[in-house]
Amino acid sequence: MFSNYVKIAFRNLIRNKLFSFINIIGLAIGLAACALILLFVRDEFGWDDHWERAEDIYRLETTLQHPVSTDRLSPYAPDPMKDILLDSVPEVEAVTRYMEGGMSIMRDGAVMLQEGLLADPNFFEFFDFEFLAGDPDTAFNSMNSVVISERSALSLYGDQAALGRTVTIRIGGEFRDFTVSAVITDPVVDTHIDHDFILPFNREYFVGSRWFTEDWRFLYRNVFVKFAPGTNVDSVRAALPGLVEQHRPKPEDEAGQENARTVILHLVALTDAHLYSHASTSDPDVLMGFVGLAALILLIAVANFLNLSMARTSNRAREVAMRKVVGASRKQIVEQFLGEATALALIAMTVAFVLVEVSLPYYNEFLSAVVAFDFFAGPGIAVGGLMLVITVGLVAGSFQATYFALLKPRDVLYSNMSSDHSTGRLRSVLVVAQFTISIALMVGAFFVNKQTNFARTLDLGFNPENLIVVAGTNSDQSNALKTRLLASDHIVSVGRSSDVPTRGSEDRLTMRQLGTEELVTLDGLPTDADFFSVFEIPLIAGRYLTDTEADYLRQRAGDGEYRERANIVVNKSGAELLGFKDPAAAIGQTVPTNLTATQYLEATIVGVVDDFHFDSARDVIRPGIYYLDERRLAEMTVRLSRFNREAAIADLEAVWRDMFPDQVLFYSYMGDLVEEQYQTEDQLSTALMAFTLLAVTISCLGLYGLASFAVDRRTKEIGIRRVLGASFTDVAVMLIWQFSKPIVIALLVALPIAVYMVNDWLSGFAYRIDMEAAPFVMVALTAVAIGWATVAGHAFKVARANPVKALRYE
Amino acid sequence: MLKLHNLSKVYRTDEVETVALDNVNIEIESGEFVAIMGPSGCGKSTLLNIIGMLDTPSGGDYVFMGENVAGYPESKLSNIRKQNIGFIFQSFNLIDELTVEENIELALLYHNIPSSVRRERVAKVMDKVGIAHRAKHMPSQLSGGQQQRVAVARAVVGDQAMILADEPTGNLDSAHGQEVMEMLQALNAEGTTIVMVTHSPAHADYARRTINLFDGHVVTENLRAAV
Repeated sequence: MFSNYVKIAFRNLIRNKLFSFINIIGLAIGLAACALILLFVRDEFGWDDHWERAEDIYRLETTLQHPVSTDRLSPYAPDPMKDILLDSVPEVEAVTRYMEGGMSIMRDGAVMLQEGLLADPNFFEFFDFEFLAGDPDTAFNSMNSVVISERSALSLYGDQAALGRTVTIRIGGEFRDFTVSAVITDPVVDTHIDHDFILPFNREYFVGSRWFTEDWRFLYRNVFVKFAPGTNVDSVRAALPGLVEQHRPKPEDEAGQENARTVILHLVALTDAHLYSHASTSDPDVLMGFVGLAALILLIAVANFLNLSMARTSNRAREVAMRKVVGASRKQIVEQFLGEATALALIAMTVAFVLVEVSLPYYNEFLSAVVAFDFFAGPGIAVGGLMLVITVGLVAGSFQATYFALLKPRDVLYSNMSSDHSTGRLRSVLVVAQFTISIALMVGAFFVNKQTNFARTLDLGFNPENLIVVAGTNSDQSNALKTRLLASDHIVSVGRSSDVPTRGSEDRLTMRQLGTEELVTLDGLPTDADFFSVFEIPLIAGRYLTDTEADYLRQRAGDGEYRERANIVVNKSGAELLGFKDPAAAIGQTVPTNLTATQYLEATIVGVVDDFHFDSARDVIRPGIYYLDERRLAEMTVRLSRFNREAAIADLEAVWRDMFPDQVLFYSYMGDLVEEQYQTEDQLSTALMAFTLLAVTISCLGLYGLASFAVDRRTKEIGIRRVLGASFTDVAVMLIWQFSKPIVIALLVALPIAVYMVNDWLSGFAYRIDMEAAPFVMVALTAVAIGWATVAGHAFKVARANPVKALRYE
Repeated sequence: MLKLHNLSKVYRTDEVETVALDNVNIEIESGEFVAIMGPSGCGKSTLLNIIGMLDTPSGGDYVFMGENVAGYPESKLSNIRKQNIGFIFQSFNLIDELTVEENIELALLYHNIPSSVRRERVAKVMDKVGIAHRAKHMPSQLSGGQQQRVAVARAVVGDQAMILADEPTGNLDSAHGQEVMEMLQALNAEGTTIVMVTHSPAHADYARRTINLFDGHVVTENLRAAV
């Protein structure tokens, strides 16, 4: 019996090759797309879950609030919190901290930059690193120990043993020797704890560093807390404000109190740090959007599968009728068709496996991810996938099975009547649903793509071409560096600032609005006199700042005090916010300004520059104020000659080697920094386009299959029409209209939904494209055209066929 | 074998009510060969379907082997049908995806018979209808007469006591038609009850009794002298 089912199912597949292919490949593509999306999302939600007891580990993060400026969000926490937590919260089992950053390693006289951690002594008890050599218990026995990662060992020593070797690392301004005490495996891709080498934290390195003190003002270390299993972390969270209040030293004077920021602490689960922390590198909303996309694609694929399975019912009616005549019970018929549909779904799943395996390397490369398809590794995916596929099979099969169970043999065995009427309507609904989703996705993908491209062409307000930014240039010799660079024939200009565009600034200054007592907040940026000319930011009134005494707010030389009056420049939005009716009106005006809560400044506006993007291009340009502060110019921006950039870089490298032989030169292209901002959105946009294309393809496969089927079935009807005088055109138009109808209905349903969703999405952008009718018309025409192209071949074939042949066949 | 008493069948659609059979009384003995004749639309096929339990009567009694099956549910009818009744259709109704052998075997699939026994019986019946050399062929590779022989084999492979044939020669030329009729006659000689609907008086002559239907009524019953 079973072999008979298999035989007949298989022969049906072979007999209707095209149909079977469409049915299986449609579902397979849908399943594969769905799997790819879900694998990536699962990976994104699974960061750092490989550590032992990851679920008990939390990172302590900080928000600093200030009444007149924006919140500062830090993934780090104040140092004293370690002891406070250990003393006050009994559920805390352990706390470990580390500083992270790029550090210079000296090898054979050359300096290279690697990722280093300065960790607490209990670091290797806290996190279960895998040791390839050495021992976690003795790894930090000496303050001169260093634990290196496998890749580091390879780059430093090749195949030779690393244990006991000396590594020279620059910390606190000088090179120090460390002895390799252990080698551990490389960090996995989906972890926050990135490391080439790990050193024991040593306070002595930072003696005398103004910025590093173990108090509440500086946030420089990751603080990880391990709770006893089953701890109610919410109640610990509730106790945090009390702990801050109790332990944080109060400023002594009134001004200090006024200026103090409020410290708010957060406990973020280690496994949530990737998505929901102050240092999150991915957007959970976007991920959920893609989960939705996966669901829609699956829906289309399942609808397709259902539809094609049902379309085939009329083919099998005679078989079922005969089975009933010779005694098959309803139950047996139901079993047969449920089994058949499930088997088909399982075949599709197998094909989907292959598709996923084949496409995974490209997919990973595209997403810069390491998504792995470990179907057999955990029961989760295997069971989930199988259940899903079996459900799809059973649902698809149940329509057929029910229909056949109720089929009356005499209806089929004695009549020419098509047995298709009962499923026809449901099938139309499914086609409409498929195309509704596809069309909505097409509209969505179109606008996402257009907005992404629009953001790219947005005028930044400065010229990022041929600019490089050299980091770590806030030393006494930086001006000398600037002078030597300007001596190069290939370097056009050099400017300095505390931050550069795309990165934003943290300074917030309050200034008094013209003619009122109202205080307004402007974004502040310390620059040197050449900043605006290097970035080619146009002046619209007054003059740029110059290298003269009166223009300086603070100079490098001297006592480091701010001056009480200085000339400053504002941007156009700044002039407007301050109440000047036009930029020229602001020139020469002196505005009372609070540099900080305790630092007052008489700021005289000498110039107004045009607005330019300093934060992400997604954000609105904010009012800005620019002033010369020589002590805070960490970034040096160099405009290279556009005729010979290589020579300019070579000159930069030569000067750097000469001036700072033991420091790594670290520079980035301004163009890359701008590009980085768009990268994620570009990726998302491309991914959306690709998956939309898949969805449309699946829908078209389905339509194609249905058309070929319907045409087969209507051969006789069309023969009669031809005999009665219908022309080739009449018949072709009739068939094409039959298959355009569901698309037209789908358009009517999809377009309003798409308008709403796209509008909602666009409203999140400060600079956005307008919604016009043209793209909708275009998508509508495309959808209809795709539909026509899909069915036209069939329509013409059957319309051209000799009617006599069609009728004689009966 | 079976007895129809005041049997009627009414088809209802939304607006029209069609009386297909009206007060039909027929008795068929075991081992008989009965032909049912009449013009198109007189209710021949409806009658045959009710006898074959593919359809249920609207009124009256249908006693089959001593059991009144008129009100039986589908599952019970299906069971009685598979034990006792074989069908032969004008349009053969062979399954295109199965070979000759497999088409015949289909009739045994739902009988809980081990596959070795099934194969044996299929081989035997194929010999009997002279189609053994085509065992592995698909229906589309056979002539009409050959296809109908396969259908006959399928109808009798389960040792059915009664064969219902609905214009079995309707799609065949006269030579092949005669071949099928001779086959049915031989089966009848072995004791199988045969009820056949036909348009052809010549083929009706193979039967021992002819029932003439007109507008859902039995008009005449002619008994032929034994041949």
